[in-house]
Amino acid sequence: MSKAPNIPAVLPSDTNPLSFMSTSIDAVINWGRSNSMWPFPFATACCAIEFMSLMSARYDFARFGTEFMRFTPRQSDLLLVMGTVTYKQAPVLRRIYEQMASPRWVIAAGACASTGGFYDCYCTVPGIDQIIPVDVYIAGCPPRPEAYIEAAMQLQAKIKDESFMTDRLARLRDRGEDLPA
Amino acid sequence: MSKFDYTKALVPSTPESREANLTKVFDLLASRLRIVIDPQEHCAKSAIVDRSLLHTAVTILRDTPELGFDLLLDIVGIDYLNYLDHQGPRFAVVYLFKSLKVSGQRFQLKVLVDEEDLVVPTISDLYSIADWAEREVYDQFGVRFEGHPNLKRLLNHFEFVGHPLRKDYPATKRQWLSTNDPMLDQLEARLKHNGFELLDPVPVNTPAVEDVIKGSRQ
Repeated sequence: MSKAPNIPAVLPSDTNPLSFMSTSIDAVINWGRSNSMWPFPFATACCAIEFMSLMSARYDFARFGTEFMRFTPRQSDLLLVMGTVTYKQAPVLRRIYEQMASPRWVIAAGACASTGGFYDCYCTVPGIDQIIPVDVYIAGCPPRPEAYIEAAMQLQAKIKDESFMTDRLARLRDRGEDLPA
Repeated sequence: MSKFDYTKALVPSTPESREANLTKVFDLLASRLRIVIDPQEHCAKSAIVDRSLLHTAVTILRDTPELGFDLLLDIVGIDYLNYLDHQGPRFAVVYLFKSLKVSGQRFQLKVLVDEEDLVVPTISDLYSIADWAEREVYDQFGVRFEGHPNLKRLLNHFEFVGHPLRKDYPATKRQWLSTNDPMLDQLEARLKHNGFELLDPVPVNTPAVEDVIKGSRQ
């Protein structure tokens, strides 16, 4: 799917009451989704400390529409995994991801969540992409707040490139419904 | 437990006084039961005691008033599989004590156990902290503690097969686990003891002992 065009709009006004607004549905939906992400913090280690500074006034993550933390996966669409994930925790993380409603995105923040970091041992998951799909990886141990902001901007760009109708067709096909192509 | 006024300031220890006190403890133990000073231990003096005498030895250390080993610091397992020039049984369980009465006084007690018969009597009836410490040694090394009230894994998942701190366990051998481990059985027992009624108790997952032993042989 090609990138959605900018929204051409002629807004209704007093001088022109019969005017209408015309745009592609992808542009509107992606604009809304990318600017109101609801993050769920899965914070297990020191990367979450940087995340606290990111949420505070100095770096102000709310500028990207991630205004509130939701502490239930059922109300959020952005999963932020910050820190080491052990195999004992892996079923919990998988369950949290499965509870999130679609569309959902995942950011793996820091070396441990992305690759397992230096914990090359029997108990640490070598990257959460072994368990759940990941959209954006952040390098660093721990990453600076600026890296989180860049990841959010990359994720916004990725969301703006998605297509609601194409994804919907794929979702329906997954459910086994017989639809014409 | 020995009665002692812990509010009084202790006399600070010197290396000489610690050495003299340690010799005193060794002599006292040796007068009551058979102990051997570990010839392979170079960092600190430690006493080897037979496992049938372990409970008696720990009772003496705890209850003799002038020793006052009221604190069990840790219980550690050792696997001597790849140890250079090692003779004797493969496993050892080390008990680390600290005295709250004599300044700077510590003591190491060691029990040697063979791979074929990995059983050590529990001391969780003498020190309550030994409950979890023994569970950790069981979890990581597969040493079974006879008479322990709740001998199951402490750190690893109940579906985990094998004992990861054994030297023949591959350090990067990872295992997929299917469910989460609630670990609420002790809390629920305490709630029940305090008179609460449990409406929806968490199921206790306990694998068979045979599976654990089978999984520990790589």
